[in-house]
Amino acid sequence: MQDTEKRTMTLNLTPREMAVLEDLASKKDLSKTAVMRLALRLLQAVDAKTQMGQKLMFEDEKTKEKSEMVLI
Amino acid sequence: MEESRVYLKKMATGQLVEASLLDEVIDKHLAMWKASWQTAMQTHCAGRALRDKPEDHHWNWTQKADYWRPLLGYHSFAITCEGDLQGLMLVSDFESARVQAQFGKPIVYVKFLACAPWNRPEFQTPPRYRGVGTVMVAAAVELSWNLRYRGRIGLHSLPKAEPFYRDTCKMTELGKDAAHQNLTYYEMTNTQAEEFRLTH
Repeated sequence: MQDTEKRTMTLNLTPREMAVLEDLASKKDLSKTAVMRLALRLLQAVDAKTQMGQKLMFEDEKTKEKSEMVLI
Repeated sequence: MEESRVYLKKMATGQLVEASLLDEVIDKHLAMWKASWQTAMQTHCAGRALRDKPEDHHWNWTQKADYWRPLLGYHSFAITCEGDLQGLMLVSDFESARVQAQFGKPIVYVKFLACAPWNRPEFQTPPRYRGVGTVMVAAAVELSWNLRYRGRIGLHSLPKAEPFYRDTCKMTELGKDAAHQNLTYYEMTNTQAEEFRLTH
């Protein structure tokens, strides 16, 4: 479902945060706003999984070593 | 909820008929799934060995809806035609591309896509309608365009659906994925998406 109503907020970022946002926007081929919205959707999805008792794991493709990311 | 007019091929007459693509699965669709789709699936599966059951026979769309509905990153679609539910799809919009040319860029990931039992040749000959899968893939591509993902989509295919994604949708096959029940992963690049939009 596409929400058409939008609400505006001001986001203050440090220069480092802005640099990261600009880098991610370039890498992902998205606008900075789209990156922030993507981050929100992703965080909500991960949070829902962890609330269900699941873990967020990363696996090294070469070594198969696994590490867990624990979110606050 | 937005409704778009799409067309399916009615196999009994060979004619294209109007259908509706809805960009949200609502309670009415889940009730239709439970009343007719699930019933047809259960009847078909009764007494059959697991290997002879449709690969998606265990998908419970009511339970899936309970999970995806509160989440911003999930989008559900339904197709209805002549009063019946014809297909359902769930996609997410926060996964990353794996094809080298677009590696790390966001894609629309098709988590579940199914057409109604009566649209499958193993349930009835001829199936009632054709084109449900193509309309759903087109919907995923359009969502990808709307999100500025340039049409990029990806999915893990059930084995029997692989020819559809490989040959009809012309998606790139990236091999079996041990992290997803060894299902084969397919991805559509932005170039393939443009081609798909032109030809479907």
